[in-house]
Amino acid sequence: MAPVSWLFAAQPRARVAALRTVAYLFVPVDVLLTTAWVADHADVPGTLYQPLYVGRLLDLPAPGPVSVRVAMVLLVVAAAVAATGRSPRLLGGAVAVLYAWWMVVAMSYGKVDHDRFAFLVLLAVLPTAGPARPGDRTADEASGWVLRCVQLAVVATYLLAAVAKFRFGGLEWATGATLSRAILRRGSFLADPLLDVPWLLVAMQWGIIAFELLSPLLLVGGRVTRWFVLFLFAFHLASFAGIGIIFLPHLVALLAFLPLERVAPAVARAVRDRAGWANWSIRGIRLRSGS
Amino acid sequence: MLSTVGRRVRLALTALVAVLAVSGTLYGQDDHFPFAPFRMFATRTAPDGPVRVVELRGRTAGAAAEGTLSMASFGLRRAELEGQLGRLRSPGMLGELVRAREALRDELPRVDVLRLVEVEYLLDDGRQVGRRETTVAEWRR
Repeated sequence: MAPVSWLFAAQPRARVAALRTVAYLFVPVDVLLTTAWVADHADVPGTLYQPLYVGRLLDLPAPGPVSVRVAMVLLVVAAAVAATGRSPRLLGGAVAVLYAWWMVVAMSYGKVDHDRFAFLVLLAVLPTAGPARPGDRTADEASGWVLRCVQLAVVATYLLAAVAKFRFGGLEWATGATLSRAILRRGSFLADPLLDVPWLLVAMQWGIIAFELLSPLLLVGGRVTRWFVLFLFAFHLASFAGIGIIFLPHLVALLAFLPLERVAPAVARAVRDRAGWANWSIRGIRLRSGS
Repeated sequence: MLSTVGRRVRLALTALVAVLAVSGTLYGQDDHFPFAPFRMFATRTAPDGPVRVVELRGRTAGAAAEGTLSMASFGLRRAELEGQLGRLRSPGMLGELVRAREALRDELPRVDVLRLVEVEYLLDDGRQVGRRETTVAEWRR
């Protein structure tokens, strides 16, 4: 069956190893730095806790000052150790579970974000790949499935965001003033001038719908995928510059489309060449000073 | 090579997550996170309608006049406050927020008066033409 073999198309283990390192190193950054507000929920009055469906289903206790801090330390330590590639199943599993609870803490106070889906999928599937070393160019199906799942989750985030716009905003979403609203609420000196050009904002809304609907093209591979990924990075950076919103965990998942296994050797080569150049110049100086 | 069982389990999980994600977007609500609809900026703002923004204004100890206070100092994000506006209408709830801020950022000056304000930007054809403010709730120490 073609779609099934596509889902399991073998990919180099080194690619999973590289993605794993980035993902687990990102967890402490996310928890301590870029979404540090999650930990602040520890001190928010319990009356503002609105447990998500999953929290009620599993009868999870309301986050408190102790539980939030303990989970934070465990999550950061587990992720830091997992980033080394040690015990990928056990530690990876622990990171996935702890991060999932961290997200329940994050999203149970009246606002749910949608930059987490692909990253949650990434954390959930990574442990299934088992041991994967950085230099291991062997391609296998377990790695292929991990990468494909993350890719599908990234595409789903865009495609279903377009569907959500049709569901909640109607088919005429693109002709509204949603971007004007975004800029009025969280503008910057870069975005504020756009408020005077409403037709341009409407054009940008059409553009957003268009690229979200075209996102399955990410799965085509080759040049199409690389250009699309580049465009998406540019889009998310521009959003950050304009309205201060960046989908960092989603951007980590977006890396699953790239030949990451080539990055580490390229960096190593560059460092080696630089070192070679440094030796050469040191020798040169020595030669000169000796003459 | 994956074993047949390994393949089947993975295939079933993939299908399950796909079904949950799609049905979450079509029929679910925020409550169903992580299978909630991907609805950031999904609602349509009418080009002639108002844009509402909630702010916390307050007078802190030693300050001469009222100022806008950062939501983060209360441990919440603006959208979270807006998502729970109903509960925050009572002054008692604002008092609880002040206590949260004292627990969270004890280095900040004490808040003596706190107002929850709704700012409305009025649009005409996507262009801002006016602005008005309403106090939703007020708390005094």
